[in-house]
Amino acid sequence: MNPYVLAILLSSLGIGTTLTFASSHWLLAWMGLEISTLAIIPLMAQQHHPRAVEATTKYFLTQATAAAMILFASTTNAWTTGEWNIQEMSNPTALVLITMALALKIGLAPVHYWLPEVLQGLDLTTGLILSTWQKLAPFALIYQISPMMNPTLVIMLGLASTIIGGWGGLNQTQLRKILAYSSIAHLGWMMIVMQYSPNLAILNLILYITMTTATFLTFKNVASTKLSTLTLTWSKTPMMTTMAMMTLLSLGGLPPLTGFMPKWLILQELTKQDLPLTASIMALAALLSLFFYLRMCYAMTLTIAPNTNNNTSTWRQKSSQTTMTLSITTTLALALLPITPAIMALTT
Amino acid sequence: MLKILIPTLMLFPTTWLVTPKWLWTTTTAQALVIATASLTLLNWNSETGWTSSNPYLGTDPLSTPLLVLTCWLLPLMILASQNHISPEPISRQRTYITLLVSLQLFLIMAFGATEIILFYIMFEATLIPTLIIITRWGNQTERLNAGTYFLFYTLAGSLPLLVALLVLQKELGSLSMLVIQYMQPAPLCTWADKVWWAACLVAFLVKMPLYGAHLWLPKAHVEAPVAGSMVLAAVLLKLGGYGMMRMIIMLEPASKNLAYPFIILALWGIIMTGSICLRQTDLKSLIAYSSVSHMGLVVAGILIQTPWGFTGAIILMIAHGLASSALFCLANTNYERLHSRTLLLARGMQAVLPLMATWWFIANLANLALPPLPNLMGELVIITSMFNWSNWTIILTGGGTLITASYSLYMYLMTQRGPVSTLIMAVEPSHTREHLLMALHLIPIILLMLKPELMWGWCF
Amino acid sequence: MFYFTFLVLIGLVLGLVGVASNPAPYFAALGLVVAAAVGCGILVGHGGSFLSLVLFLIYLGGMLVVFAYSAALAAEPYPETWGDWSVLFYVVVYIAGVLVVGGLVGGDWYSYSWVVVDEFKDLSLLRGDFSGVALMYSLGGAMLVVSGWVLLLTLFVVLELTRGLSRGALRAV
Repeated sequence: MNPYVLAILLSSLGIGTTLTFASSHWLLAWMGLEISTLAIIPLMAQQHHPRAVEATTKYFLTQATAAAMILFASTTNAWTTGEWNIQEMSNPTALVLITMALALKIGLAPVHYWLPEVLQGLDLTTGLILSTWQKLAPFALIYQISPMMNPTLVIMLGLASTIIGGWGGLNQTQLRKILAYSSIAHLGWMMIVMQYSPNLAILNLILYITMTTATFLTFKNVASTKLSTLTLTWSKTPMMTTMAMMTLLSLGGLPPLTGFMPKWLILQELTKQDLPLTASIMALAALLSLFFYLRMCYAMTLTIAPNTNNNTSTWRQKSSQTTMTLSITTTLALALLPITPAIMALTT
Repeated sequence: MLKILIPTLMLFPTTWLVTPKWLWTTTTAQALVIATASLTLLNWNSETGWTSSNPYLGTDPLSTPLLVLTCWLLPLMILASQNHISPEPISRQRTYITLLVSLQLFLIMAFGATEIILFYIMFEATLIPTLIIITRWGNQTERLNAGTYFLFYTLAGSLPLLVALLVLQKELGSLSMLVIQYMQPAPLCTWADKVWWAACLVAFLVKMPLYGAHLWLPKAHVEAPVAGSMVLAAVLLKLGGYGMMRMIIMLEPASKNLAYPFIILALWGIIMTGSICLRQTDLKSLIAYSSVSHMGLVVAGILIQTPWGFTGAIILMIAHGLASSALFCLANTNYERLHSRTLLLARGMQAVLPLMATWWFIANLANLALPPLPNLMGELVIITSMFNWSNWTIILTGGGTLITASYSLYMYLMTQRGPVSTLIMAVEPSHTREHLLMALHLIPIILLMLKPELMWGWCF
Repeated sequence: MFYFTFLVLIGLVLGLVGVASNPAPYFAALGLVVAAAVGCGILVGHGGSFLSLVLFLIYLGGMLVVFAYSAALAAEPYPETWGDWSVLFYVVVYIAGVLVVGGLVGGDWYSYSWVVVDEFKDLSLLRGDFSGVALMYSLGGAMLVVSGWVLLLTLFVVLELTRGLSRGALRAV
């Protein structure tokens, strides 16, 4: 893609999200969402591959539907209450509609079906943008309307996403689909705590973005999109493979790693709100996700033959990709648990 | 605490910076120095029960023996793995030792934690190194299955524990072991409270493992390399017993009635897993099932909550830790020579490796609890307290002892006596390293006969 | 007015039945146009003129055109028509379903609507839902620049997606 075009599109992507962040008016927030949707579409379709175009079309249709619902709901709200301010929504119908629309935008179950399909059609860089940056703007809107949302709906969205995110990934062999389901499950964790402690949800989002960035960049570095190609990575970059295994377990939320922190804090918040049953269901649903992360670890690192390899490794070009972001995010994705209080102080 | 923790931390740079030639020697030596230093913890002069250098880490008579056992086991694990890991590339050797060291680090912090949630995190943190040791350095393809079983049994049990602990934190405002035993325990009368009671214990019962939730253990033991089996049998199972003893003192009034099904399962498990051992063809699997059987006795001793029961449980945990670890090492010496765990193929080893037969004999006697050994002390104390709790239990515990003796004899006779199998050819002689390894396992057991109050726990 | 509302509601049902019953994208687009248009009519009937205007302009004027375009790119050359038995079967089933459910629920549920802010229109200078939009644009030039940029970006994206005969993303497939 032409660098000028790329610059225009990327800056529009930034402008769109920033506009949504900055707005207190529904029309402006809607406009920001539309700008970022529009700006990412040529990026998604730049490969001119049938799968990419299919993914682009699906993405455009779902995002346009969601944006239409947002516009419809906010106008309905204005029609009945005369209030365009985001934080002053009060019409229950409009709130339910807008919650579902935002859920559709970030891909929460039960309106998540587009996400694995779309992510599977994209290359890993665009996929990374889609599963990190594109979540920010809708998430900011959810954050703002969270006190008014219907609690039953929010808890149902959270539980359904965590369970379906775990379940859906179980029989996948495509890495991008697995990452999509992992995104659904993590967003479920964010939703469930949204009304009790929005700051924890933000903390979870930040940590999720860190961990998923590390994972996406690792896969990009070894150019791997399937479990079967993942099994060959240990001969290329043994050290990174090991780190990637830890990152995956961190995504799964195993204790000494960063990924345990949001789960721990969210479970604590839920028990504080007298919801231990919900907390248990969430904790056990995380085991479903852990299973597919574990399978990726098995494929990637743990099934190396126990004997040494007698072949000399084949000639290969030294990777010219910059690994600075990868190394920083991997470090953050592994080692933040001991400084949990400092991280919490950052988000509150 | 720090004088053990910091040298353990410094083992990481040692492992990665030392020249390849001296890798195994240096790490073993440093680990042994740490183990020796940890013996000073046994010098007990605190009146309050706790010796703590800071509010987060401390030891009391319950955790000290387990902590020393952990430190003692690291040099033994490194010694035991030396032969089968050293042909690998140097970076993999370093990774392997790093995993063992990180396991020791987590275990020290688990046993030293004064905050239950820190204990919980460290309890879970041991999963990752163990998982990697089992699934990366195991030998058969079934190791992947074993790793999955290991991880998911433990996590499915312990995630409810996390929620239960958070509920407790909400109600009491603190999870510090220093103060929590003085707090007024919750009455536990509603159904939700009973579920909470179960959630507090199930994680540890799965880890022990209790009969019924034990299926992960034989798999993990059979598939793990020798160091994995050693640390699993010697320390990781004891994490379960230690956690149970810490938790059950807070669950006081309800445990009296609610513990019945678990005590029944534990006692029945002694008989059942012992009987499984009698028909076992796989050497490592036999030792693993014998661990389950002994741990059943420990669970029963803890659940009846008498001082004698607790004392017996901790004694048996320490003694069994050393004895079963020794047996796994012996099984590994066979495995390294014959490349098979099958009992039928390893007949008549006495004629081939006569000195090893002596070690087999002593380790077997320790496992079946011969009179002066601490294993007997533990079993006897538990059986006595169980008998006092209900006379009928003597049928199960006594029967269990009988079966233990039978399968120990079976194992000894099968492996050591009889004609040498014609399939055994050109067996390497036993190494000094292996004799040292066995001596370091069995000498502590014998020395503990002289001063058993080191591991009597609270009742000393 | 009552008959008008009644006709429009029947049109909405028919439009949705059209979308649901026919597998061909052409008829789906047609059904959507009908349903969206009469939906706006219903909103006007209940007094939401601004809401219906927004929906009509943006999502009929913009989105449905795009949808019709992409449907035309993807659709098969010989679609099933309304007369086919498979389609007719669905039409009959859906209409029967609507009638049965309508009969069961019954009553005059459609005559209610929520209290709108324009109930107090005697006291206010502007309609409630207008005022917000007016407020947004009254903020001045910056908003105009943003809106202009959005239009430019839209054109640009469409160009990027469809340029050339073989290079553009949509044509290449």
